[in-house]
Amino acid sequence: MNSKSLSGICEEVIFNNFFKNHVKALRNYMYYKFGNAEQAEDVTQEAFIKLWENCEKVPLDKAKSYLYTIANNTTLNQIAHQKVVLEYAKAAPKQDKTFESPDFHMEEEEFKAKLQKAIANLNEGQRTCFLMHRIDGKKYSEIAEALGISVKAVEKRMHLALLELRKEFDYFK
Amino acid sequence: MEENYHLAKWLNNELEGDELKAFEASKDFAVYQRIKQYSGELTTPAFDEDKMLQRILHSKKAKPISIQKVVLRIAAVVILSFGITFAVKNFANFTEYAPNGATTEFLLPDNSTVLLNSGSEIEYKKWNWDNERKLKLNGEAFFKVAKGKKFEVATELGKVTVLGTQFNVKNRNNRLDVTCFEGKVQVNYQNTQLLLTKGMTVSFEDGQQVVAAQIAQTEPDWLSKQVAFTAAQLPAILEEMMRQYNIDIQMKGKATSQRFTGTIPMNNLEVALEIVATTYHLKMTKINDSTYRLE
Repeated sequence: MNSKSLSGICEEVIFNNFFKNHVKALRNYMYYKFGNAEQAEDVTQEAFIKLWENCEKVPLDKAKSYLYTIANNTTLNQIAHQKVVLEYAKAAPKQDKTFESPDFHMEEEEFKAKLQKAIANLNEGQRTCFLMHRIDGKKYSEIAEALGISVKAVEKRMHLALLELRKEFDYFK
Repeated sequence: MEENYHLAKWLNNELEGDELKAFEASKDFAVYQRIKQYSGELTTPAFDEDKMLQRILHSKKAKPISIQKVVLRIAAVVILSFGITFAVKNFANFTEYAPNGATTEFLLPDNSTVLLNSGSEIEYKKWNWDNERKLKLNGEAFFKVAKGKKFEVATELGKVTVLGTQFNVKNRNNRLDVTCFEGKVQVNYQNTQLLLTKGMTVSFEDGQQVVAAQIAQTEPDWLSKQVAFTAAQLPAILEEMMRQYNIDIQMKGKATSQRFTGTIPMNNLEVALEIVATTYHLKMTKINDSTYRLE
């Protein structure tokens, strides 16, 4: 039989590599969902522990979907989520010079703060999709797979999320 | 359902051509552009991936005490305790005991019946009983042996071997009495080997065969609270009475060597004492409820 490929994830090197590739995205996904970093890490850790324990039964190519299925199932009994708190990367590259009017800096900070708040106020489905795309750079197809929904559904959520966010900035027009 | 989620397409850099140009020309484009830019700069709070990895990798050693293992462990403990109980029950020596003033009846593993007379003890093993029916007797007992392999009663003085039968073995001090009530009984006493048939009784004392007689009873007299003595010495009779009545009889004066043959009741102390006193011309004095003196 192909027992060797089945137990591949049991090799510590392979498992470590798989962990490095997926831990951040999974933990972020859980964080967008719950808005609680501690809980997100707990669920992520549990999911990886389950994978590690059952490594002999999970082929490497199924490991990712196994991981997300476990994480998705775990979330069912979690307490109500808190607000997602996100930060802007400090080293964000300065953008177009056109924005750099004297009072632009002020305006930028205000815009960013408003955006943070607006994202936190999105519903869970839209926020999860939106942030998985914006922060983790996931493709729509990857998001669809992780959430167990269709790509079309992901597009719809993204579209609605953008419409929702724009509403917050009426006066910037 | 063919809705056009052009915002999603644009965000994913899939919007092209006229659609893109139309969108770029819309009044909301600037806002969307900024949302796209700034949301791309967002990050989540950092966390320690390596620490988590270590916890996960170490969990495997501790965690596989999963339900399966727990069940296995419990099963092992249960089996082990059953085993120990079984071993103790079967390999250990069993001792049945009848204290003075009482008799005990019990069954052996093959349903052979044993009646233990007062102040007697039997020791045997349950393990492999059907193939090795052997027990040690100290005192007196009546056996109703179920049919089967050799049944052996070992006493300090001699060995009694039978097949299926009913017999009584009495081993007190230096005297051994064996009575066969049914079937055949083989008695080994020192170098003598005797085969008893139904109704035969044999007694050995101090290395000598003292009695070999025929009896009419079908069960030992002590079962009906009567004790028959055949050429018995006084100390043996008194000892038997002390066991049966659980009393103390003090003997004063010279011991007589006169032997006694007869029956003494074991449920009527006064009559029993009277018989002994009359037979041996002794005076019986009651000191208290459980102590008597003969002189």
